[in-house]
Amino acid sequence: MKNLLQKSLKQLTVFAFIVFALSIPSYFLLVDWIWLNELDENNELIAERIENEFNEQKISDEKLAQSIQFWNEIQPVSKVALIHQPLVKDSQYTVMRQNPYSTKEAIDRFRGLKTNIKINNQNYSLVVETNIEETEETVGYIAMVTLLFFLILVVGFWILNRRLSKKIWQPFQDTLQKLKSFQLNGQNRIQFQDTDTIEFAELNATLDKLLQHSIATYKNQKEFTENASHELQTPLAILKNKLDILLQSDDLTERQYHIAEEMNKALIRSSRINKNLLLLAKIENSQFDSAELIRFDTIVLQSMEALQEHFKEKKIDVSTDILSNVEVKGNSGLTEVLVNNLLINAIRHTLPEGSTRITLSKSAFEVSNSGEQALNPDLLFKRFSRMSDDNRGSGLGLSIVQEICKLQDWTVKYDFVNKEHLFSVKF
Amino acid sequence: MKILLIEDEKELALSVVEYLSGESYLCEVAATFTEAMKKIEVFDYDCILLDITLPDGNGLKILEELKKENKQDGVIIISARNSLDDKIKGLQIGADDYLTKPFHLSELTARIYSLIRRKQFNNSNIVRQGELEIDLLAKTVAVNKAVVTLTKKEFGLLIYFIGNKNRVLSKSTLAEHLSGDFADMLDNHDFVYAHVKNLKKKLNEAGCEQFLKTVYGTGYKWEG
Repeated sequence: MKNLLQKSLKQLTVFAFIVFALSIPSYFLLVDWIWLNELDENNELIAERIENEFNEQKISDEKLAQSIQFWNEIQPVSKVALIHQPLVKDSQYTVMRQNPYSTKEAIDRFRGLKTNIKINNQNYSLVVETNIEETEETVGYIAMVTLLFFLILVVGFWILNRRLSKKIWQPFQDTLQKLKSFQLNGQNRIQFQDTDTIEFAELNATLDKLLQHSIATYKNQKEFTENASHELQTPLAILKNKLDILLQSDDLTERQYHIAEEMNKALIRSSRINKNLLLLAKIENSQFDSAELIRFDTIVLQSMEALQEHFKEKKIDVSTDILSNVEVKGNSGLTEVLVNNLLINAIRHTLPEGSTRITLSKSAFEVSNSGEQALNPDLLFKRFSRMSDDNRGSGLGLSIVQEICKLQDWTVKYDFVNKEHLFSVKF
Repeated sequence: MKILLIEDEKELALSVVEYLSGESYLCEVAATFTEAMKKIEVFDYDCILLDITLPDGNGLKILEELKKENKQDGVIIISARNSLDDKIKGLQIGADDYLTKPFHLSELTARIYSLIRRKQFNNSNIVRQGELEIDLLAKTVAVNKAVVTLTKKEFGLLIYFIGNKNRVLSKSTLAEHLSGDFADMLDNHDFVYAHVKNLKKKLNEAGCEQFLKTVYGTGYKWEG
């Protein structure tokens, strides 16, 4: 993953590279064209000068021939030769050859001019050649300079980018940071930073709208659960009480009694589901203080004592390893619920004569019980997703455990090792 | 014994009144905050059953008022709000007990029984039935003056039966009483049978008449 500015930096760099690369031949062609033009002009001037200088000598033809011969010997780059017919037109050319002045072997480029001059009214052909920079050298120098500028540009981009990403993107980073730390059940709204960038202002406005809507929906839903559970308490209470009265009727038959008893059992279950839903809603509504210092070991021992007879009844072998003086931050009532739920879970799902192990250390509470096969950990903590065909539970026990852990910043994990279901709570 | 039930839910109030009428209780009902305040000003009650959420006021205010006037009425809060805060607050202000809806009427009756006994017999609080003697304060049981050692749960059951004399108590009701919050989460209610059996056996061995009867196969009734 790259950040946005780095991505654009890459594109810009590639584009700059192409432009600079194209500029190299353009510059070369331009420079070479200027060179040639200048040298042609220069060659013509030289030819004119030579013609003038020879004519100004006003020497005899014989002497002239000697002078020209002498000239040709000391000036290897230009040559004067007698011709009978004047040249139709001047010619310009470029040639690669050994520099006659250089002792090293060096092939140089020369620009030449072959023109017609008149000395003592006789026609002579004159060749003037001037050294010109080689193509590859020109290209090389231009490329070097271009590359240097390209590097300056890229480094400049990079530095600017870093500064821009700090400055221009600061409102965006701020928004992002606030969103990251936002919790739907945190109940506080996000106040976005003011920004003069249209895009960010729009983003913030849209996010604000979205969040407000989410918060409102979430609040409604939570209130609904809580209110619904509250409203259900009264009819449940009435049903329960009427059943109690029914049981006292003198002419109640045994069959009717058993029907009433079954109704009572179902009623106990609905009350429990209702209570648990209410508890979940309250945990989610953050109606609990989770900052008291609690003695975890005391809670575990109390809960174990209360449930001991149920372990015994199912002949479950309980082994314990409970560290004393384990102090943690949390809510004592909720922690009690957490411990109870995990222990009851173990009682319910351990087969008769199975085994359960309860461990408490400085940083973790673990309950494991013997079992046949692993359960799906994704579904395990979901509300109303039952793992066994036993549907007596409320289907909320482990969800409550998870919510309590979330509230108190603990984690709960399920593992299946060595034919044992292991629930571990880390705090 | 006079009891005041402050409850706005008519059906609930009716049930409570009907269930309690079998005992020597005289039960009055107040459906609103104002009605309750009027009654409290004029009369004294042995026990007040107080619902916190009333249409025209908070029940805790009534409790505060009672305590301000230094009234000795015992108060049991019956609330649909199962919040620990409410419970602690209620008990701090001076309620004697707290019961969350939905509850069994037998549970309520047993609590009223214990509360009234506690309030009226401060020093010695002994219940007698034939050769059976129960000291509610010391939590001891004796048959023909010989002490019978009961476990905490067995003693609780005995008080529950005594508080619900001549009433049919079903196994599931007893399971709820015994294991409180987690009765329904356990697979079976056989542990009730085990406790009742032990209690019966201990009393029987001490030479106590069999007051506890099994009814309809799985229910129980304390006769007396």
